Amino acid sequence: MRAVRVMQTLFKRDFLYSLYSFGYYVALFASFIVSSFILKNFLDSIGEEDILVSAYPLNYPLYITLIIISLYLVIISGVSISREREQGTLEVLFYGPVTPGSFLWGKYLKDLCLGMVALGFTAVYFYFVSLLTNLGFTLGLVKALIMSIFLLSCVVSFGLFVSSFTGRIRSSVLALVAILGAFLAIQLGYNALLGFEKESLSVPMLYVRQTMSYVFRGISWVSPFAYLNRGLDSVVLESPLLYVANIGYAVVYSLVFMFLSVYVMGKKGVKA
Amino acid sequence: MIQTVNLTKEFNGFKAVDNLNLQVEKGDIYGFLGPNGAGKTTTIMMILGLIPPTSGKIFLLGEELRPNNVAIKRRVGVVSENQYLYKEMTAEEYLTFFGELYEVPNVQKRIEELLEAVGLWGDRNKKLGAYSKGMQQKLAFARALLHDPELLILDEPVANLDPTSIKQIRDLIEEENRKGRTVFVSSHILSEVERLCKKVAIINRGRLLAEDTMDNIKRRLTDTVRLEIELSQNAESLSSELSTLPFVKGSTVDGNKLEVHLQTDRDYRLDLSRFLYEKGFLVLAMKTKEMSLEEAFITITQQNISLLAREEGKA
Ligand SMILES: Nc1ncnc2c1ncn2[C@@H]1O[C@H](COP(=O)(O)OP(=O)(O)OP(=O)(O)O)[C@@H](O)[C@H]1O
Ligand SMILES: [Mg+2]
Repeated sequence: MRAVRVMQTLFKRDFLYSLYSFGYYVALFASFIVSSFILKNFLDSIGEEDILVSAYPLNYPLYITLIIISLYLVIISGVSISREREQGTLEVLFYGPVTPGSFLWGKYLKDLCLGMVALGFTAVYFYFVSLLTNLGFTLGLVKALIMSIFLLSCVVSFGLFVSSFTGRIRSSVLALVAILGAFLAIQLGYNALLGFEKESLSVPMLYVRQTMSYVFRGISWVSPFAYLNRGLDSVVLESPLLYVANIGYAVVYSLVFMFLSVYVMGKKGVKA
Repeated sequence: MIQTVNLTKEFNGFKAVDNLNLQVEKGDIYGFLGPNGAGKTTTIMMILGLIPPTSGKIFLLGEELRPNNVAIKRRVGVVSENQYLYKEMTAEEYLTFFGELYEVPNVQKRIEELLEAVGLWGDRNKKLGAYSKGMQQKLAFARALLHDPELLILDEPVANLDPTSIKQIRDLIEEENRKGRTVFVSSHILSEVERLCKKVAIINRGRLLAEDTMDNIKRRLTDTVRLEIELSQNAESLSSELSTLPFVKGSTVDGNKLEVHLQTDRDYRLDLSRFLYEKGFLVLAMKTKEMSLEEAFITITQQNISLLAREEGKA
């Protein structure tokens, strides 16, 4: 398949140059510092109470690390098309054998691989943490790391989807901030409304709450971060079926969003 | 190699390209001329499938253009108006990357060949961010030729180049054309096109004003032929008599030098020499004063659009 070869070529160039980029290591470093901080708090609390309160002590720090890596990846993938549109380099690729499909899958692979390299670093980091703290590098952690690959795939395909619409770096970033901000706001708003007793709410507020619950359910299928939460939860719940199902959801999500991205990119073209 | 049929592109109701019919044959060096904003780049982008036409059809290498027809694009080489290189790469890395994309066999040897040809071999390890505009353009040229394309599409290929480099690129275009490549080149630097092209199309405001061989275009676009004649003796007395001839539109005399403006509907040179002979003058030399494409171009695009409309009416 020549298209696959084209994709590989694009991937190789992109991946190598991204690995040299400074921001990548800044994001990784930041995520490790934050999770070290959380771990320290956690260990302090064990010290005080002398009991281990979680069967998965490393999963929460892992979750935080993942969130930071995801935020980095969603921005990187979110500007990947718009940046090449803005710089014009996309146009030159399309004089030749590159198509939206080969281009986008190349970007997807690149960003996913960046994510996997980050996960590799994360595994090493948690391994050292487990040696230093006697908190076990458990099977649960391994399962969570494997699950994370699929969750990062959701994040990347979502970012690429946003990028397929936008012609400039700035508009991509604004769109990402707006969309993810809206997701977060709805989630927080819904949680706040859930906090009230049903009886204490007026009829219009009940109506709002009902509507919010639908919107919330909708978002939980659209937002890649909802997949991240559910995926990591499934590890803690120790249900193999749920674990596999979450991997399945993530794969379907990625495929749907990649398909949509290819379609939108074909429609929108290569120019800013 | 390229054919457009009633090709039209509107941007929010503004017709950037209006009912354009072009025909580029195999082996041509085809000049695509027009002033700034005429619609050249828009047309080229449509031919490359990068922007969809509002209406009309495009045939490229004998096939109707469809989005993502990669097999055809592999047979075309493009140098665009702006170069859009990857600034963090060196020239060699850049060409290697494109060589891989286009699956060029023996790519290192080909890269060496091309970088030598455009005079960038010495700068092959410089980052492209540090390349001058002219160097970028030459590199784009090397990239366009890398995969041995049958058709070269060049949008203002010499716009940023110094005279030496222009000659270098022009020679390269001619050499590639001799090897059998068809060349489609847009420009507003007319003297360059004039030297290169066998056939030209002239567009303005998206409309095709003329598509013909260089010679025919020049002939069509001048409504007079200017003859410079050297006579055996002083011709001051001739001026008034010349004006009685129906095909003479004007004349100036300077000693034994005569300049006569003739109608273009047929060749009147024989009639004129006979007339001069009858008046007792012998013709020592007669020369048609060529109109340069530059002049023809200005004539068409600015002053004499009405003339062309008349021409089109006749055709
Ligand atoms: N994306 C666009 N949106 C709106 N108008 C456009 C767009 N692209 C081109 N135009 C308009 O179409 C016309 C033709 O532009 P085009 O770039 O094709 O001209 P050109 O012949 O290549 O000019 P130049 O010699 O300056 O390169 C111009 O009036 C331009 O403003
Ligand atoms: Mg142009």
